[in-house]
Amino acid sequence: MTTIRTRMGDGHAVEMTADEIRSDVVAGTEDAADRGRIPALTEQECDWLVELFCRSDRVVGVDQGHEVVLTDDGSVNALYGAQSSSGVGVPVSREMGIRVYERAFCMDSMEVGHPDYSFKPVRPIVALEQQAMESTLLSTIVPMYYGAMPNLALYARPDGPFPNPADLLPMGKIDEARAAQEEAGEYCFRDMVYVAKKMWEVGADGINFDTTASAGDVEFLATLRAVEQVAGSTGLTIEVGMAAEFVLGMHGKVAYQGTRLAGLYPHEQVKLVEAAGAHVFGPVVNTNTRRSTAWNVSRAATFVKACSEAATIPVHANVGIGVGGVPMCETPPVSMVTRAGVAMVEIGKADGL
Amino acid sequence: MTQQELFDAAKAAVVAADEDQAVAVAQEAVAMGLDPVRVIAEGFTPGMREVGDLFERGTMFLPEVIIASEAMVAAVAVLEAHLPADKKEKKAGVVVIGTIEGDVHDIGKGIVATLMRVYGFEVHDLGRDVPLVSYVQKAREVDATIIGSSALMTTTMMGQKTLEKLLKEADIRDRVRTMVGGAVVTQYWADKIGADAYAENAQEAVQKALELVAG
Repeated sequence: MTTIRTRMGDGHAVEMTADEIRSDVVAGTEDAADRGRIPALTEQECDWLVELFCRSDRVVGVDQGHEVVLTDDGSVNALYGAQSSSGVGVPVSREMGIRVYERAFCMDSMEVGHPDYSFKPVRPIVALEQQAMESTLLSTIVPMYYGAMPNLALYARPDGPFPNPADLLPMGKIDEARAAQEEAGEYCFRDMVYVAKKMWEVGADGINFDTTASAGDVEFLATLRAVEQVAGSTGLTIEVGMAAEFVLGMHGKVAYQGTRLAGLYPHEQVKLVEAAGAHVFGPVVNTNTRRSTAWNVSRAATFVKACSEAATIPVHANVGIGVGGVPMCETPPVSMVTRAGVAMVEIGKADGL
Repeated sequence: MTQQELFDAAKAAVVAADEDQAVAVAQEAVAMGLDPVRVIAEGFTPGMREVGDLFERGTMFLPEVIIASEAMVAAVAVLEAHLPADKKEKKAGVVVIGTIEGDVHDIGKGIVATLMRVYGFEVHDLGRDVPLVSYVQKAREVDATIIGSSALMTTTMMGQKTLEKLLKEADIRDRVRTMVGGAVVTQYWADKIGADAYAENAQEAVQKALELVAG
C-alpha cells in the first residue's frame, strides 16, 4: 500500500497511508470541537486537509490572492540564536536583523524586542529601548511593533516581591495565592502601560502583548486592562498574542466585563480582546507531540476557524515551534511548517501569521 | 440510599469540591455498614479522576482542584477510622520534583506537584533552578520512588540527561524511577536519555507516576 512520508508532533518522520491521515484529520477536528464546544470541520474541509498532507510537494503555499500578513515576533532571536545548538546563529545586531527580516525574508510587519522579552525588565531600561526603536524606525519601512511578554511569573518570589502562588496553592492557601496574584497583576498592568506609552512617544507603530496568560487568568486580566488603557491614551496598533489554547485558571475567579477568564478558548478570548480595544489577535493552539502533524493541524485549524468566525478584528494565528500544528522540535521541518501555515489561512481563515 | 447511589454521591461531592457533602457521604457509608475500601475505590477515587480530567480540559481550575482534593482527604479520614489496620490508606509513593538548574519556569511543574499530592503521593518540591546534585541528595534523604524533572528550554533539558548520569554514579538509579516533562521535552528525548517516563501534561504525569509505582 502506498504510504506518505509525514511527521509526528515531535518532528519524527512517519509513514502513513491516506486512510490513516484521513482518520487523524477527522480525530483532530473532533477533539477541538469537543474541547472548545465549537463546530468540527466539514467533510470537504477534511478532504482538503487530507489532500494537503498527501501531496508530494516539500513546500506548499496558499492560492494566489490568498496571501496574508506575515509578522515575526520574539524580535530577531531566531536569527541570532542558533536553534540547533543553542548558541550564536548569525551575529548581527537587532536593527540589522530586523532589516534582514524586512528586506530578505519579506516580513510585512516586525517587532523590536529586548532579549529578556518581558515588560518588567524593560521598564528600568526603557530609555535605551526607546533609542533602539527610534533608530530601527528610521532605517525600516514596514510597521514596527514593540513586543514583550506580560510574564506575571516575574512578579512572584524569587523574581519579584509577591508570594509565589505555585508555593501557596499546594499548601491549600488558596485565598493567599489569589490575593498575591491580584497584587502582582496590578504591577504587571502598570509596567505594560508604562512601556507602551514610552514607545508611543518615539513613534512606534504598535505594541505586541506576546505570550499573554502564560501564568494564567490574572495575567490575562492585567493585559486586557493594559490594552484598554493603551487604546484610550495612544494611537498604537495593539496586538494580543496568547500563550496557550485555553486560559489557565491559576486564580479561577477573575473576570473581565463579567466574563470569567479561566478556561476560555480562542473564539472566546478574541471577543474580550476586541472589547478591550485591541486591533489584532494572535490565537495559540498547542501541539500534541504524540499525535501526527495531520491530527495537530486539523485540530489547530478548527480552533482558528471558530476564532476567525467570531472575530471582528484581524486574526494572526501563531504558527511556530509547538503551536499552530507545527511540530515541537528545535528546527521544525519546512514541509510541516508550510502545511500548518497554509491550513491556518485556507481553512482557519486567518488574516495573518 | 442504595450502595450505588452512595458511590455516585461520593463522586459528585468530590467533583463539586464540597467538603461538607463529602464528609456527610462518608458518614452515611459508615452508618450503612459499607466496606470503606469500596467506598474510597468506587466513589471518591473516580470523583478525583474526573476532577483531573476536567482540569486537563480547562473546565476546572487549580484552586478548585485543591479544594476538591481537600474534600476527598476529609472524607477518607472519616472512612479510615473504620478500616482495619492493614488496610489503612498508604501513600502512593515518594516523589522528588523540580525544575532543572538554569531554568526558572515552574508553573507547569508546580501543577504536576499539586496533582501528585492530590493523588496521594508524598511530594518534595525542590522548586526552580535546582542544582542537579540536589535531586540526588533529596532522593537519598527521603528514599524517593520517583524523581521528576522539568525543563522549558533546550539549553536546560540537557540537565535531565546529566541527572540520569549522576543518579547512576550515586548508585541509586536502580532504586528510583525517573520522569521528565516540560515544553521542549518529548517521548523521544525521554527514550534517548533513558528516563522511565514522559508526560504530555499534568494529568498524564499522575497516571504515568501511578503506573510506575504499580511496577
